Amino acid sequence: MRHIIGSIVLVAALAIGASFIENEFYLRTLFMICIYFLCAAGMNVLLGFAGQKSLGQAGLFAAGAYAVALLTTRYEVGPWLSLLLACFVSAVFGILIAVPSLRVKGPSLAMVTLAFGIVIEKVVTEGSEVFGGAMGIYAIQPLNIGGTPFTMVQWVWFGLLLCLVAHLLLRNLLRGRFGRAFLSLQADEVAAGAVGVAVYRYKVLAFVIAAVTCGLAGALVAQQNQYINSDFINFHLSVFILLLVLFGGSGSLYGPLLGSVTLVIIGALVARWTWIEHFVNGALLLFALYAMPKGLAGVFGALFQAMGLVGGKGGDAATQGGIVPRLPTRAMPHTATGSLLTADRLNKSFGGVVPAKDVSINLTEGHIHALIGPNGAGKSTFINMLTGIIRPDQGKVTFLGRDITQQSVHGICDQGIARTFQNLRLFKDLSVRENVLLGQHSRMQNGFASSLLGLPKAWREEGEALRKVNDILAFTGLSQYAGSPAGSLAYGLQRRVELARALASEPFLLLLDEPAAGLNPQETAELGQLLVRIRNEGITILLIEHHMDLVMTISDHVIVLDYGQKIAEGTPGKIQADPRVMEAYLGTSTEAA
Amino acid sequence: MLDAYIQTLVSGLAIGGVYALIALGFSITFTTTKTLNFAQGEFISFGAFIGVTMLLLLSGLAGTATAVPEEAAAAWRYPAAVVGAGVVAGVMGILIFVLAVRPFAGKGGMNWVMSTIGFGVILQSIGLAIWGPAPVMVPSPLGDDVLRIAGAGVRPQELLVLACAILIMIALDLVMRRSRIGKAMMAVAHSPQTASLMGINVTLVMIGAFALSSGLAGVAGVLIAPIASASLFMGMGFALKAFSGAIIGGLNNPRGCIYGGFILGVLESAVGLWQAQWREIVVFGLIILVLAFRPAGLFGQAAVDKV
Repeated sequence: MRHIIGSIVLVAALAIGASFIENEFYLRTLFMICIYFLCAAGMNVLLGFAGQKSLGQAGLFAAGAYAVALLTTRYEVGPWLSLLLACFVSAVFGILIAVPSLRVKGPSLAMVTLAFGIVIEKVVTEGSEVFGGAMGIYAIQPLNIGGTPFTMVQWVWFGLLLCLVAHLLLRNLLRGRFGRAFLSLQADEVAAGAVGVAVYRYKVLAFVIAAVTCGLAGALVAQQNQYINSDFINFHLSVFILLLVLFGGSGSLYGPLLGSVTLVIIGALVARWTWIEHFVNGALLLFALYAMPKGLAGVFGALFQAMGLVGGKGGDAATQGGIVPRLPTRAMPHTATGSLLTADRLNKSFGGVVPAKDVSINLTEGHIHALIGPNGAGKSTFINMLTGIIRPDQGKVTFLGRDITQQSVHGICDQGIARTFQNLRLFKDLSVRENVLLGQHSRMQNGFASSLLGLPKAWREEGEALRKVNDILAFTGLSQYAGSPAGSLAYGLQRRVELARALASEPFLLLLDEPAAGLNPQETAELGQLLVRIRNEGITILLIEHHMDLVMTISDHVIVLDYGQKIAEGTPGKIQADPRVMEAYLGTSTEAA
Repeated sequence: MLDAYIQTLVSGLAIGGVYALIALGFSITFTTTKTLNFAQGEFISFGAFIGVTMLLLLSGLAGTATAVPEEAAAAWRYPAAVVGAGVVAGVMGILIFVLAVRPFAGKGGMNWVMSTIGFGVILQSIGLAIWGPAPVMVPSPLGDDVLRIAGAGVRPQELLVLACAILIMIALDLVMRRSRIGKAMMAVAHSPQTASLMGINVTLVMIGAFALSSGLAGVAGVLIAPIASASLFMGMGFALKAFSGAIIGGLNNPRGCIYGGFILGVLESAVGLWQAQWREIVVFGLIILVLAFRPAGLFGQAAVDKV
């Protein structure tokens, strides 16, 4: 609340200040700060949160600008409606630029977005019949009130108002479920999917948000100038928008503000010499990357912290003494079949390697199942098939009576299967609490609109999730680490954070891929107790493990894989006596005899 | 009609040869360092202008002009300019590796994308300060008279470009597959850690990769200048299309990149026969299609993300 009032007061003060400025140049500079703030605020969602490098934002700026230009000049749509439609047009282009991101990652994606920007630039330059090319489009209708076009001061006011609205809305969005989901994409897409984040949908959403703010900025520029031509749209604009975010502080809510204010002012100072302006921007980009990886926002943040103005987050509420909290769980739907999960004759081959050959298993509710076998037996592949990360070539997986073989990774998480990874996949830069909150992602009900508008529902859900997460942290003994970045913890603790994150999706079935790997004997014993406690909460467990003492103590049922085939299953006692298991682990018994 | 097709094919192959050279450069840095030079376009433009400057200086003229006189490109001067541009661009490549790539490579966040872009923006503004924004006409060393082959008009420079590109690529392919240094590069491409355990100086190989990749871009700039005329703004388009070629062929596969470059050149030329202004749009549209159905390229192997 304090933040909202503060922002409103700041914007109001600027608006009042602006009305005393007579100089057109200063007003225009202020207007451009607003424009670039809008671009940067959306780009921050895409780059700073979702971690997608888009080098084609100029294309989206163009989409908004030319939409407004064509709508008002050709189709004689009113200026206000055109502005609104321009936002929709840019959103469509945002989806277009997002499509390749679903298939390619990393440098190739950056290159593709770059190409997108260049193509739009080419289209508006070459397509002179429609877009006017370098001649441009004149007589774009400006915004007006009752037929009177905006004066420069009114443009500034309107710009400030839009910035305020954009900032507050995005702040609502980014501080809750959606912001965390975007951050998880940046950190690790596979893990994000496994905790229930719909990876593709969120990526597209991030692109669309960046596209709408950028298109809005373009439309405003076109309407204010009443003119647009292809010179506006160039690669330097894309780089500048990127720079706004990086220089201001990528991933910080204040970054876009700091970036747009400083860079527009610097730009205004050197604008007389075009090539110097570009040189300065390039140099600032390098400077930001070398010297302040968290941008101006990071520098100021560190400064304030050093001055003691902002304390570190205080100690968490003391953990409830003595009472061990229950895990949050969801009500089990009643099914006819009786078994929780059935895998029916799963097959998978990678070329000549066959990690699964007609593997069928049956998991019973409330049991701890163990999946063991020598290295390369196909255990991890099996878990990957159950969670949708790898699709089986043949076979069928039924969970709670439903066929989940072709379901998406996040959909399977939604159904109630959670997992951990053999090689830890934590969101390392996020705090332990945020990691576990991400596990709650699929359980939270607040959608885009309620999160964006900060409706009571979003607050309720967030509070509820936080309460459950605190319970889970207490249950797993992690409360004291809640505020630390997950990557900073000792290895054994990191394993436990991943387990807590999986528990946060309130699963019916928990799949653990070597949870004891790298743990010392003491930690392994503690893990065993923790797993039994989790089972006692009613959660079924399937674990892959090499620590046989752990497996044999806690499991109710053991399945043995070798070369992609199930060679035995049964109670721990039965497995220990099985000659085929001994053969797989120790070699043939005839030699020993 | 046939002559028009032949003409299209030859110019497509010529431009494709240039794309192939640049695409090969992308592939070389990507396989060894897992990074790409996003300023490659500026290296192409710089290559062209260094070539122009060398041609002018070698024939005793002032360093800048709006057009290079025909006699300045004659005889040994053009090959010297090609080599010179390659060497200078190669040195610039070492600089960009040390200053912009190495500090960020291997860390999350791909900051090297932004740092190489920043480097490129700086290079371009320096270039504009030295040579100005106007394009410079460059004559072909073989003259600009059109040759007639089976009735089709072919520019001698196109044949020269094609020949040079093929020679360079054959030489590189041999070096890669036969020589010690080539094997070292392949080892680094597969696993830098293991390569360094085997006593290979990985940093040196990476520097070499950037020098080579940038050198190829510089050479490509001089080769293309007589066809497209040298301009500081020409590089980006070439670099993007070359990258598209690399994507078609598969970034991990150097030979695939070469095929990809040629395919793209011929395709672009063919589209140009039909609708010249649609070239870029068709080409980039195709890339998006390729990425949608075969993200690893037509000749590439899908990288498996082990979970």
